Amino acid sequence: MAGLATVVLMVAVALAAPLLCAIEGQDPTTFHSDLLDSARGGVPHGSFGGVSADHWLGVEPATGRDVFARVVHGARVSLGVALGATVLELLVGIAVGLGAGFGGRRADAVLSRLIELSLAFPSFLLALALMAIVPQSMPRPLLLACVITAVSWGNVARVTRSQALSLRRRDYVDAARMSGARPSRIAVREVLPGLTAPLLVLAALKVPLNMVSEAGLSFLGAGVRPPTPSWGQMLSTATTWFRADPTYVIVPGGLLFLTLLACTVLAEGVRRAMDPRWGGRS
Amino acid sequence: MVKRTVVLLGAASLAIATGAAACGGGSDGGGTSAFDPGTCQGGTLTVLNQGGLDEFDPARLYTSGGGALPTLVYRTLTTRQRVAGEAGTKPVPDLATDLGTPSDNAKTWKFTLKDGLRFDDGTPITSADVKYGIERSFSPDLPGGAPYLHDWLVGGGSYKGPYNGGGDLKSIETPDPKTIVFKLRQPHGDFSYLATATQFAPVPKAKDTGTKYKNAPVSSGPYRVDKYEPGRKLILTRNPNWSRTLDNQRLACPDRIEVTSGLDKTVINQRLVSGAGADAKAITTDATVGPEQLAQLGSDPNLAKRVARGVFGETKYLAFDATKKPFDDPRVRQAFAYAINRQSVVNAVGGSALATPATTFLPEGKAFGQQPYDHFPAGQTGNPGKAKELLAQAGHANGLTVELAFPNSDAEGYGPKVAAAVQDALKQAGVTVKQKPLGEEDYRTVIGKPATQPPLTLQSWGADWPAGGPFLIPIFDGRQILRDGGNFNLAQLDDPAVNKEIDAISELTDPAAAAPRWGALDAEIGKKALIVPLYHPKAVALYGKDVKNAYVDQWRGWYDVAAVSVK
Repeated sequence: MAGLATVVLMVAVALAAPLLCAIEGQDPTTFHSDLLDSARGGVPHGSFGGVSADHWLGVEPATGRDVFARVVHGARVSLGVALGATVLELLVGIAVGLGAGFGGRRADAVLSRLIELSLAFPSFLLALALMAIVPQSMPRPLLLACVITAVSWGNVARVTRSQALSLRRRDYVDAARMSGARPSRIAVREVLPGLTAPLLVLAALKVPLNMVSEAGLSFLGAGVRPPTPSWGQMLSTATTWFRADPTYVIVPGGLLFLTLLACTVLAEGVRRAMDPRWGGRS
Repeated sequence: MVKRTVVLLGAASLAIATGAAACGGGSDGGGTSAFDPGTCQGGTLTVLNQGGLDEFDPARLYTSGGGALPTLVYRTLTTRQRVAGEAGTKPVPDLATDLGTPSDNAKTWKFTLKDGLRFDDGTPITSADVKYGIERSFSPDLPGGAPYLHDWLVGGGSYKGPYNGGGDLKSIETPDPKTIVFKLRQPHGDFSYLATATQFAPVPKAKDTGTKYKNAPVSSGPYRVDKYEPGRKLILTRNPNWSRTLDNQRLACPDRIEVTSGLDKTVINQRLVSGAGADAKAITTDATVGPEQLAQLGSDPNLAKRVARGVFGETKYLAFDATKKPFDDPRVRQAFAYAINRQSVVNAVGGSALATPATTFLPEGKAFGQQPYDHFPAGQTGNPGKAKELLAQAGHANGLTVELAFPNSDAEGYGPKVAAAVQDALKQAGVTVKQKPLGEEDYRTVIGKPATQPPLTLQSWGADWPAGGPFLIPIFDGRQILRDGGNFNLAQLDDPAVNKEIDAISELTDPAAAAPRWGALDAEIGKKALIVPLYHPKAVALYGKDVKNAYVDQWRGWYDVAAVSVK
C-alpha cells in the first residue's frame, strides 16, 4: 500500500509540475548567478545547497537553477518515459507473442528466433547506439521510450508466447475453435484475457527497470537534451559536486531510489494479488 | 594561414594550460626548504594527466612555447624564458646563440647554433638537422603542427616534405653546420617566438623513421624517451649527452619522469590532494582543480600552499557569421553583446577562481598589448532591456529564434554548460536559442568551412605565443578566410583597413612596439561586435607535497616540468 501511495504521489507530482513550480514561484531553466559563491567554484550560498523560502530544495551549483523545479519536471521525464516505454513494450510484446503462439509453426520459428535475438543482445549498449544515430529532431522523451522499447520488448513477447501456447489447448479455446472462430479472434477474445495476470505483474516490474534505463541513458548523456531536466542527468552533473554540495546529489538520487523502491514494492504487491498461491493476500 | 588554436591540440603539450596572473611575483612552489638548483637532482617525478600523449613526433606536436613535456626531449632554436611572471612571456635563445638576426625588413632571419651541442647518441647537432626537422613537418604524413611555417616560408605553400623524393626546401639555407637562414614571403617580426615550436627541434636524417619516429625520437634535451605508449604512458630518463652548461633554461632535476595519461580529472586531483606514496612527488600538466578542491583550498591552509595559479592567454567567445542573417545586422550582434550574462558563464565553468569575465578579445597581459575596453557595457549580469531595444530596432520586436552550435563536451570550457548559460541569458532578451551540440571532431570540420559554418557558435582561441598577432590574424585578417577548410575568420571580416594595419604591425621586430598597436587594433575591431568575448580561463593546479620550485610563468600559465624538483 505504501508503494502504491508513493507511486501515486510521484505521478501526481509529475502531472502537477507546472502548478507546483508556480506555487514555488520558480521555473526549471532560469539561472540565478547571484545565489552562487563564484569564488568557491559556484557552490550555492547558504546551507544545504542554498535551501530557502524561495528555493525549497536549494539551487543547482554552477548555474543557480531551482532544484525543486528541476526535480518535479524531471519526474515527468522519468515517469513519462518509463510508463510510455512499458505501454509500448506491452503492445509490441503481446503482438509478437500472440503471433508466435497462434501463427503456425513457421511464424513461431521466425518470431521465436527474433525474440531470442532481442533477449540475447546487450540491450544497454544497443540503446546507447540507437540514441546516437537517430536524428536530433525527434522529441527526446518519445525517442527514449521507443529506444527502451526496442531493446526490451523480448521479455513480454516470450511470456505472452509461452502462456498463449499453454492456453490454446484449453477446453474453452477448443470449444471456440470448433464453433468456427478464426485464430485471430481466438487469440484476442479467448486467450488474451487469460494473459492479463502475468502481464500485469510483468508490466509492474518493467516500470522501475525502464526508469533505471532512462536514468542510465541520461546519466551517460544520451538521454533528454539539456536544459530539459531529468533525474539521471542531474545525478550525472552531481558527480563532480558530491563533496562540495551533497544536497544536490541527495535530492535526485533519493527521489530515484524512493520511486524505484515504491514501484518494486507495488509490483510485488500486484504479483501477490494475482498469484493464486497467495490467495489474494497482499 | 595561421589557424588553429594552439594549445588545444597540443599533443603532449597539454592542452589548456592556463595561468599566471596571480603568481605574478616570483612565488616558488611549496616545498619545505629553500630551493637550490645546485642540489635539486634526483628522484622520480610522476605526471598525472587527462590527455596529451597521443602524439610525440616533434613534427606533429602543436604546442605553445614548446609544450610542457616535449620541451624536455626537444630543444628548439629559441624557447620560452623559464622565469616566474611577466618575464616568462619572452623568448630566449635555446640551441641558437641569440634570438636571430633579422634583415631585409624582417623577411630574412639568421640563427647561429651554440658550440658543443650533441644528440643523446653523441653525434653533434648541426644546422642541417634543424632544417631537416622543419622540412619533415611539411610532409602530409606528419600533419598536426602549427600552420605558420607553411604560410611564412618562401615556397612553403607547395612544399610536401623530404619524403618520396620531395627534395629540400630552398628557403631554409645552411651555409655551414652552425648557421641557418630562413627566407620569408613577408616580413614577420615574431619569428623568434615561432622558433620555440617543436618543429624547430633538430632531427638527424639518418635516424628518421617517418611516422614511427615518435616511438624512438632522438633527444636533444635533458631527457630521452625510455618507453612510449601513445595515449597512455611516457617514461623519460636522463640524456647523458645533455649538459646544463649549454642549457640555461632547463634545470632537469628529477632523474626519471613517468607520465600517465587517460586519467579522470577528479581522480588526478584527489590523488594530488591525498599524496599517497609516489603521488607525493606528482604533478599534472593538464588538470585544473574542480569545485571540490576549491572548497577544500579555502579550509585547508596546507593544501592551499600546494597550488599554482596562472593564466594562459586564451579567450572563449561567441562567434557570429556576419555575412549570414540575422547577424549581418550589427544591431543584432550588439544586442547579443548586451544580453550576455558573464557572471553565469563564469559560474558555469567553475567560478571566479577559474575564469575572468572578458570584454576584450585579447587576453590580459602586457605581452598581448591588451587595451581594456567594453564597447557594450552591460555589467556582470547583462542588460536584457537594452538588448531588446536593439532587437526591436532591427525589426525583431517579437523575438528571434537562433541556433547555437558548440562542441558536445565541456572539456575545453566552451561546451554544453556554457551554451546553457548563454541560452538562459538570451532568453531574458527575448531570443530563443536552440542548442546544436556537435561531436568534437565534427565540430572542427563543420566550423572550418564557411559553407557549412553555423551562423552562431561557441569558440575558443589560445595564444600560439604571447603576442597580439597570433590572436588577431587568424580571426580577423580577410586574407585568412579559407574556403576549403581550416578557417577561423568566422565573421568573414575582410576589411582593407584591418588587413593593412596587420601587415604594418607584422613588420615590427620589437615586441614592445608591436604590442600596443595590436591592442589598439583589437579595441577598434571590437566596435564591430563581430564576436562576444565571454571569459578568459585561469589555471589553478595542484602539485604533490614533495614537489619544489613549481613556479608559474605567464607564457603557459602553469608550472614548468623542466624546473620542478622532487628531491
